[in-house]
Amino acid sequence: MDEILARLQPIFRDVLDDPSLVVTAESSARTIEQWDSLAHISIVSAIEQEFKVRFALGELETLNNVGEMIGLMEKKLRG
Amino acid sequence: MNEYRWDDLSVGLSHGFNAVVTDEMMGGFLAQTGDVNPLHVDRDYARSRGFEDRVVYGLLTSAFYSTLVGVYLPGRNALLQGLTITYNKPAYVGRRLQVWGEIKFMTEAYRRLEISARISAGDEQLSKAKILVGLL
Repeated sequence: MDEILARLQPIFRDVLDDPSLVVTAESSARTIEQWDSLAHISIVSAIEQEFKVRFALGELETLNNVGEMIGLMEKKLRG
Repeated sequence: MNEYRWDDLSVGLSHGFNAVVTDEMMGGFLAQTGDVNPLHVDRDYARSRGFEDRVVYGLLTSAFYSTLVGVYLPGRNALLQGLTITYNKPAYVGRRLQVWGEIKFMTEAYRRLEISARISAGDEQLSKAKILVGLL
């Protein structure tokens, strides 16, 4: 999880335009003010491009925080 | 007007069109925005600063990026979500511009396109843009 989280940091900092942002497994749209609906789409798109994975809307709708996103990514990257 | 739907689109699909900025368009932009910067309205001043002529408003040429997505790629079903523009060279009134864009990435879950676009005049690239477009 730590390796993926480290690669996610620059994505979140870039999309949310906050160079000092530190994302943790507990981070979510509820805890990060700039994480609005359009930013969310950009985050998902950037992750898909960086990690060469694809998400279905149904998968994304079940996620509550970054840690759960990483869990989903680990499944896809293993598969 | 094109009416692409999600399933019709693919990475690599591109569209382009030609456009010309006229004196009337410059006057309209001035009236709408109040941007009286002499670089755009005073030919002598623009020439004194090293330009060939008065410089077309950057956001006036960039309005053609709106036309690109709203009329051509994907057309009717477009919803502009983001636009990042870098300007490379000045545009001048009366010169023929080529506006072109290509789909670079598609985010299936949210039906969003990432389009790489550019505006050129002959061999010169005047600006480039990354455009984010949702599909209605």
